[in-house]
Amino acid sequence: MQSPEMLASAIRLAVPIIITAVGAIYAERSGVVNIGLEGMMIVGSFSGAAVAFFLGPYAGMLAAILAGALFALIHAVASVHFRVDQIVSGVAINILAYGVVRFSAISIFKAATTSPHVNSLPRLSLPGLSEAAWLRPLVHNVSPLVLLAFALIPLTAWVMNRTVFGLRLRSVGEHPLAAETLGVNVYLMKYCGVVISGALAGLSGAYLSIEHNGMYVEGMTQGLGFIALAAMIFGNWMPLGAMWAGLLFGFAQAMSLRVVTQAVPYQFVRMIPYVLTILILAIWTRRARPPAAVGLPYERGEAT
Amino acid sequence: MTPGGKSLKLARRLKGATKYAILDAVSPIVAVLFAMAVASIALVIIGKNPFQVYATMVSFSFGRADSVASIFFKATPLIFSGLAVAVGFRVGLFNIGVEGQYLMGAFLASWAGFAIKGLPGYVHLPLVILAGALGGALWAFVPIWLKVKRGVHEVITTIMLNHTAFLLLHYLIFDVFMDKSQVVVGGAGSPRVRMPPIELSARVPNLHDALAVFGINLPAHAAVNWLLIGGIALAVGVWYLLWRTPFGLELRTVGHNPRAAETAGIRPQVVYFKAFLLSGAVAGLVGLSDLLGYFGYLDIDFPRGYGFAGIAVALVGRNSPFGIILAALLFGFLSRGGLGIQVLERVPMETYVILQGLIILSIVVASEVVRRYVRAQQKKEEAAAHAEP
Repeated sequence: MQSPEMLASAIRLAVPIIITAVGAIYAERSGVVNIGLEGMMIVGSFSGAAVAFFLGPYAGMLAAILAGALFALIHAVASVHFRVDQIVSGVAINILAYGVVRFSAISIFKAATTSPHVNSLPRLSLPGLSEAAWLRPLVHNVSPLVLLAFALIPLTAWVMNRTVFGLRLRSVGEHPLAAETLGVNVYLMKYCGVVISGALAGLSGAYLSIEHNGMYVEGMTQGLGFIALAAMIFGNWMPLGAMWAGLLFGFAQAMSLRVVTQAVPYQFVRMIPYVLTILILAIWTRRARPPAAVGLPYERGEAT
Repeated sequence: MTPGGKSLKLARRLKGATKYAILDAVSPIVAVLFAMAVASIALVIIGKNPFQVYATMVSFSFGRADSVASIFFKATPLIFSGLAVAVGFRVGLFNIGVEGQYLMGAFLASWAGFAIKGLPGYVHLPLVILAGALGGALWAFVPIWLKVKRGVHEVITTIMLNHTAFLLLHYLIFDVFMDKSQVVVGGAGSPRVRMPPIELSARVPNLHDALAVFGINLPAHAAVNWLLIGGIALAVGVWYLLWRTPFGLELRTVGHNPRAAETAGIRPQVVYFKAFLLSGAVAGLVGLSDLLGYFGYLDIDFPRGYGFAGIAVALVGRNSPFGIILAALLFGFLSRGGLGIQVLERVPMETYVILQGLIILSIVVASEVVRRYVRAQQKKEEAAAHAEP
């Protein structure tokens, strides 16, 4: 039976998209577009693997989160404080991340494109259900980050809808001036949103290198940061929506890796995730409801 | 108010204007120096002396005539990609798709270059260059169509199309057009994966003969070719289009304020469409200097990254065609110098990529700082002018 295998593979590939898309929700809900997520994933995937190689997978995860957050901080300083074009800043972050990672890979491992093999986190198995053969791929030897990714969905929904922090974050993305009038620190909220998105993108990068691949390989993010942004849009800036969209893209990825036929050249199969992303954006964008002030720079004290 | 007072005021304002113009011109230079200072951190971390590394960059790049020629060769594709990005910026669109567009342009040009035989060079070469522009414009069609018709932001679609372009190129080279005459030499691995060689009638000659007239003699291996002159000519053409034609005015108006442009009877959607296709067409030419002036064939390892470098070039050049030529030369130097420090100082040449990212960031921050400073000064001056009776 192929399908549980396929489903398990789709879930494994959806995890980085879901984690990054949830991160993107924090940034965009605070009104900041973060095109730099791809770069933050790259930084996370390398620093995660590099630190895991020397200090083990837990330290690797932590390092990836910090590295992603650090690059996000650069984006926040540029786009919130200096109010530069958020897209330009994000693109610069992506280029910078690519350069820094290659530079570091050569300096540390004497190889530009790969790290040595690293150990992953201990795997989880559901003892009872693992016996059932058809369920086995789904519940046996699962990375803890898979559970974490799905736990992030209700957690983020709760933060956004039920906490003061979430309400303030959203108010800043919808109407910063009104928020500031009510005493919300607009800049601080935007910084929080962007840094959380970077931390999660870093973690998702570490998932790719430490958990999914067992090593860092150049180009392993292959546009997933942008696909995650599309998943967030398709999910209408809601965690649950982002999860379903992430699973859809994960399924497309799994197909592109597993479908091997003579009829269609593999290059076209590999295009599926990219073409699907474009198609979904083409169908969905007009219906999407982004935060009202997303992408707009906000100047403190504009009211005066 | 006496006439003398008026002229004094005017003089003061003019002096102010030149001061701001100088600030505007100096800020990119300051930004580049700032980026180099930040990049020094990486150099210090790996135990190198940044001053020595940058000094090696300069001495390696300008030490010999062929090295200087290499700067111009490396600058050539960057002039095209900088212009392509700048045309987008001028109309208010962000073309991150230059990367994919130039691969498609290089493919169509390569196809036209080897499949069409027996034409004289003065027909074949222009045809091949047109094919390159067509390839770029075709690949730019999908994102701008989706933008205008479906409201899809061009940034994600162009990135997705960059990935798609590379896979498509891979397929076209491997499965359709592979040069079967390439054989394994003495059991040395697999045969080279590339398309058939481009006819000599479609190659771009190098600049050696022209430079010899001026007494500059380049060694035979220097690759700088006539597309450098082509790029400079195109920059003049883009300048003329933007600042001397009605379409250029429309384009810049839409870029400043699409709503105001609409009120003035311009249809922004149409202008977006034309401008983005133009950007794509220019992007289609980015790879031609390498393709027609150096390799002579398209292979799977064709240089990549010119599209992203073009963003940095356009920003440093302030989206002005002549600024872009200078910025392209700057990045040509950084790229050449990057090679130098790798060879001589054992510093990874990726320092060049780090500098690209840092320069983009510091240049947009610097221009924002200058903008704020100028605004604050102007407010102060106005207040002072009001205070003066």
